[in-house]
Parts: sequence; structure tokens; C-alpha cells
Amino acid sequence: MRTQARVLAEKVAGIRDSDLFGVRSGALPTWCPGCGYYGIHQGLNSCIQQLGLPHHEVVTVSGIGCAGRYPFFTNTYGVHTAHGRAVPLATGVKMGNPALTVYAVGGDGDGLAIGGGHLPHAARRDVNINYLLFDNSIYGLTKGQPSPSSPMGMKTKASPGGTADRPLNATLMALTYGATFVARLFAGDPNAIAEALVEGTRHNGFSFFHIYTPCVTFDKSFKTWDNLKKWVHPLPEDHDPGDLRTAFDQVLKDDFSLGILFKNE
Amino acid sequence: MLRVDVTVEVCGTAGDGTIAAGGLLNQAMSESGFSVLGFDSYPAEIRGFGRCVTRSRIGDRDISALEDTANVLISLDDSQSRARIPFLAPNAAVFFDSNPPTYIQEEDSLTSLLEPGTVLCGLPIADLATEASGSARGRNLTALGGFAGAFGLDPAPFRKVITRKFEAKGAQVLDANLRCFEAGYDFGREQLSDRVPEIFGPRNITEGPERVMLSGNLAIGRAAIDAGLKLYFGYPITPATPIMEYLAAKLPEQGGQVVQMEDEIASIAAVLGSYYAGSISMTATSGPGFALMTELIGLGVMAEIPAVILNAQRGGPSTGLPTKTEQSDLHAAVFGGPGDSPRIVIAPTNVEECYHFTMKSFRIAEKYQTPVIVLTDFFLDNRVENLPMPKAGEEEKAHDNLYPSESDKGNYKRYAATDSGISPRSIPGTEGFQYTATGLEHTEEGIPDYSADNHMLMSAKRHRKIQAALADLPAPEVISPDGALDVGVISWGSTFGSVLEAVHTAHEHGMKVGAMKITSLFPYHEDLIRAFMNRCDEILIPELNFGGQLADLIGRLHGKDVIRMNRATGVPIAPSLILKEIETLVMEGGK
Repeated sequence: MRTQARVLAEKVAGIRDSDLFGVRSGALPTWCPGCGYYGIHQGLNSCIQQLGLPHHEVVTVSGIGCAGRYPFFTNTYGVHTAHGRAVPLATGVKMGNPALTVYAVGGDGDGLAIGGGHLPHAARRDVNINYLLFDNSIYGLTKGQPSPSSPMGMKTKASPGGTADRPLNATLMALTYGATFVARLFAGDPNAIAEALVEGTRHNGFSFFHIYTPCVTFDKSFKTWDNLKKWVHPLPEDHDPGDLRTAFDQVLKDDFSLGILFKNE
Repeated sequence: MLRVDVTVEVCGTAGDGTIAAGGLLNQAMSESGFSVLGFDSYPAEIRGFGRCVTRSRIGDRDISALEDTANVLISLDDSQSRARIPFLAPNAAVFFDSNPPTYIQEEDSLTSLLEPGTVLCGLPIADLATEASGSARGRNLTALGGFAGAFGLDPAPFRKVITRKFEAKGAQVLDANLRCFEAGYDFGREQLSDRVPEIFGPRNITEGPERVMLSGNLAIGRAAIDAGLKLYFGYPITPATPIMEYLAAKLPEQGGQVVQMEDEIASIAAVLGSYYAGSISMTATSGPGFALMTELIGLGVMAEIPAVILNAQRGGPSTGLPTKTEQSDLHAAVFGGPGDSPRIVIAPTNVEECYHFTMKSFRIAEKYQTPVIVLTDFFLDNRVENLPMPKAGEEEKAHDNLYPSESDKGNYKRYAATDSGISPRSIPGTEGFQYTATGLEHTEEGIPDYSADNHMLMSAKRHRKIQAALADLPAPEVISPDGALDVGVISWGSTFGSVLEAVHTAHEHGMKVGAMKITSLFPYHEDLIRAFMNRCDEILIPELNFGGQLADLIGRLHGKDVIRMNRATGVPIAPSLILKEIETLVMEGGK
């Protein structure tokens, strides 16, 4: 009889035997059960498989935070840097050996607060690296403080009266800074992540991936799985990623349309 | 001892061409076969009313320091030059405009302020320049000409260096400048030569190897080029910027690139990234930028990623004195940053060492897989010396990374706790040796681990590795007679040049003193330093900082308190000051 446990066991075996598992390291991710990062992990692993990149020619660079641990969970080369510094270090890796494929990963605190000064320059320098910003609007590793993308009024232990500052829109920032490839994605859709990553990795320039993801442990009110599933939807079918003005219009009127917003070859 | 030892100052207001005149003087004297050490002092502000002074010490043997008194002052602006009067040697010769274009109040004119005995060399600088070229803009060259003519110096080298400087600006500009020089030269020879003392000696300079004028910054840049540098990441900051500018011009010739980053944090991050990917790179900065780098230097120490960081020290703390020299970042370099983070710190003492130590830093960083900090200072970076072009042998340039062997595959320990502390380091692109470099404490395999035993094991490994580097680091040098000494002077960085001259003079006076030059500041050669200290009754440590940072670092090795000589003045310590201190100590010891 196919019990639920047996179905699950078969699923696990299926994943283990698939090519996908090859990109993963032996170490099991330390993220909380139900974390959105598993979806991003699956998306990036799948992208590396689809592109057929030899794992030893890929470098994954991270900062600090829950996303900082990412490199330990892949079978690529990796650097787990200091808080906020994944992007400039990844720049050095790529310039040091342009044959490598480089992914920088990090959260919204890492990339928009302490490391926020690097995004404009990575965009205008247009070095061929791929930057995945895991945006859950909260500091998870330090147990739930507001981040630069938290909505105004969000209550946390560090903001009992609600946050007073306006949130940053990472997609809008990347477009403004002149990033030549900008996609907005959702951790609940690993296939779409993989698809966008494949295209972005092939793009010769700085590629920015703004990925909405829940923090299942510390955010019970804003970017929860339920809310995100309700809010996100694909870009209009006729969206032209070659047109910057269209991309701006789209981002200004709609926070939750997903897909490749802009691409300048 | 130097038979010729002349210090010449050119002083004017920003915009007078003071720095240009001083530069031409240095080059011309070098072309004439003299040894030259030149140093400019200029305001941090680009325009305005700042005083510009160039100082050149000219001798017939190698010069390693500046004296603080001048034998010749060439004044382009009396209102600025009056501040230099206290720094004139007795019987100095002073060149000034005897008919200045703007009226100078009598009480402000140099002539009314100079001490009796000063040799007054007035020439109508502006008038001569205007007559020769139609404008007074070439006044600086006329004044230089007056100086050269008065002392009977060969005009040919002057013409040569003026031509070299101005020929790119067209025949008209070159011609005007040459005529300004000649007008001054003729006036000086005809009107002033009988009154100046004969301080440049007979013209029998021996032929040596061809010499070039090189600043510390330029020597550093050349070393980086010769080491095969491909990437420089940096952020503009005085006094390190000339390194970036030099490399920006030269690196593309060898397929490299200067990348101006958004700040110093990004600069060191990119250097670490580049080294991680297997490509040597460097950054140069000064105190404020270095402070920003300390967190990522810690990452380099922990994750064992090489990096080369040049810290051109200036006066601090904070923005401090951007255009003044100081040796106050020693502790920041050796100890800066959180945690137990042993790193390698070396400090050249002259322009030639700027070249060789920069070259060495690339090799050491790679061999010991750790950040190497090269500490220079404003005086060392910006002074010019004329010396035979430094060159590195092939061995000096060789790279020295310990790669994993094929047999390690499947059981690769990136951070194996070896006896030397050096572990096999794989480079991305190498199949089967993937690992994650991390700033977290980690196991020999590179997996995060906070257990007590592991932290002890890995801390010991990192410290062991840095101590092992002593084998490849320059040992202290001792300049002294054998046996017991009354005074031993220990010094680092550019101050050592002054110590060397002071101790040479002390030897000529028959004093039992010695000098020790320390260039490896961390790790340092404890045994050799202690052995020298044991020979000395007193240890004197002159430094250009307020508290005595080297004294704090190594003073404990002496049986009793070391004597500190600290100057937070922003200017180099003159050899004569150190000599005076030595004499006092020798006399007190004899009581």
C-alpha cells in the first residue's frame, strides 16, 4: 500500500538519484523547515544542471545571514564572506578568473542595509556576475528585527511600536542603477527561478534577481507563504523586457508581478 | 661622511611653480652625478594661499634622510618664505626677488628679517623673466637659473631636464622656459657668484651606474608591474593615490586593469576575491581606508586567502593630517580588527626597499595564504631618491602556492593542520577540490565548527603559520661595532634613514653606539632583537608617533625600560635631533 510515508520516501530517493542532487553538497541545509530558501536552492541547482556547468567552475559567494550559509550546501567552490560584502568579493573572483561562473547570494539586510553601497556600483560596473537577493523583509539569523524592505509599521521585538522607516524596493533600485538584467521571482516557484537564472547567467553583464521569500519563523504577518501566494502573479504576457521605461512603469504600479523585467544585451 | 651636503629649499605660494622648480632641481642635480633626496610639502587644499616648500638634500654619497636646516633658500614669495627663516643654517644663501611685482611692506620682506651672516642673493626675478619671455610666469625657472649660475653649476643638465619637461607642450613653451632659466643663470653667474660659499665642491663626480629619480610610490608601482600584477582595486586617498594612477597607466600594457571601487571595503573584498580565484592583486590606502579594511583583513586571516595591502601612513587619527607624515598605524596594522588575527606586516625604510618589499609581499602572501600589509609613510611615498633602477631576480618573482596533490582527491582537507601551518590550497576551476572559504571558525575540511578543541587547533595552526613566515621575512640589520654598546637605536620605516646618519656621525665621534633596522614588524625576529638589546646599556627608539608604537611592541624584550623618542610633528625627524639624544644618553651613561 502506498502510505504517505512511502510516497515521501520515494520522492526523497527520486531527488537523491536525480542530477539535481549532484550540485548539492553532502551537508544538509540548516534553514528552518518550510523556509523559502529551499526553493531558491532548488532553482539555482537546477540552473547549474541545465546549463551543464562543471561544478568546479562555479563559485558561490555569500555574505552573512541565513542566506550566508548557502555555499556550504552546494558542491561548487564558495566563499562565505563578511556581512554585506558578497558582491564586491564576487566581482574580484570574476575579474580574477573570467572563465568562472559566479553567483553572489544574500538576504535583504545583507544586500540593502550593510552592503547597500555596493549594488549601484556592481550595476554600473556591469561585471558578469549574478546576484540573487533573497528578500524576506526580516533579519532571520538574529531572530527577527526589521530590515530595509520591511513595510512601515511592521512590529518586531526591535520595533515594538512598528517600523518608522519606508521600505526599499530592490527591483526599482537595480533598474535605477542601470543593471542590465533584472528579474523578480518567488521562492515558491523554483522552476521559474531556474528559468530566469539560466537566462541571466547567459547574459553577459551584471544580472540581478530579486527573490521574494517568506521567513516562516519570524514573520507571521507580512511575507508569509499564504500572503505571497495570494499576491504574486506573472508579468503581463506582452511585457517587453527590452524597454526600460516599460520596466519602470511595471515596477512602479505593481510590487508583485514576476518575471524578467529588463534585459539589455 | 659626505663631503658635499647641501640642503636646498624652494618656497612659494601654490601656483608659483614651486614644486616644478624643486623637481627640476632634483633631476638636474641627479643628472650632474650627485645623490639626491627630495621631499615636497604642500597644502591639502588644491588652490588657495597654501605654502609650498620643496626640500632637496644633495650630496656626493648616498643620502638616507633629510636635515631640518637649509643651506640655500630660493624664495618665490617672501610672505611664505619668511616662515622658513628659522630653518636656515648659519651662513645660508637666500635667493629672492629684488624687485618683486607686488609691493612688499618693509617689515614683511625677507631682507629685513634675515639674520646677519645670511648671504643675500637678490635678483630681479620677475623682471628678468618678463624680459626673457614676455611674461613673469617663468619666474620659477629664472630663480632656479640664478641659483645654478651663482654656484657655477653646469647648466647643461638643467637645460636637459627643462627640455624633457616642456618639450611636449610645444616649442614656444619650451623656448620661453629655457630663456627664463638662461636669464637667471647669466645674472647669477655675473652678479652673485663671488658672494656664495663653495658648498658644491669640485666637479669631480665619479661615474656610477645610471640613476633614475624614483619616489617610494613609483617604486611600489614598478614592483607591482614587475611582479606580474593584473588587477589593482582601490579608492583614492592621499598619499597612496599616485600608486593607483601609475598602475592605471601601466597595467593595461600587460593586460591588467585598475578598478576604482566604491570604497576601501569593496577594494579589499575584490582583492580577496581575485586571490581566491587564483589571480594576484593588490590595494593601497592610508589610515582611514585601512581602518575600513580591517574586518575583511580578518576574513583573509580566517579563510586563509592571500592579499597585498599597502598602507601609506599619514597623520591621524581620523582624517588627521592628510599631507603630513607619521608612523602611527603600526598597531592598527599589527593588531587592527577583532579576534586573534595574526598577519604579516613589513615596512620598507627607503625607496629601494619599497620596490623589493612590495615584490616580496606578493610571494609571501601566496606562500603563507594570508594578508600581507606593507607599511610605508607619507615621507617615504612622496620623497624622491636617485638610485639605479631596482630590479628583481626571477627567484624573487616566483610564485609559491602549495597546491593539493592528486592523491588528496576525495579526502581533501583545505585547512589541514600541518606542522608549518600551511595547508594545500586549491584554485577554483580545479576539479574535485571544491571547498568553501569562510570567516566562520571551521574544521580542517572547512566546515563551520565552534567546538573548543577545534578552535584551539585552528587558532594554533594560524599562529604557527605566521611565525613560520619569519624564515622568509627580512631579518633586522645591525650597524655597530662589536661588543658592548652604550646606546642602541632601534628604528623602523623612514625614520631609520635619520637613525643611520645619526649613528654614522656618532661612530665618527668615537661613540659606542649601534643601530638596528627592523623591517619585519609582525612577526618579528625576537631572538635577534633581544640579542642586540642585550649588548646595549640603553635602547633608544625614535618614532614619528606620540606614544611609541614600536617601543610598545618590542620594548618588553629589553631587560629595562626602553627610551622613547616620540615626535607627533608631521615632519621627518632630522638626524641631528637623534644624534643629540644619543650624545645625551652616552654622557649620562658615563657619569
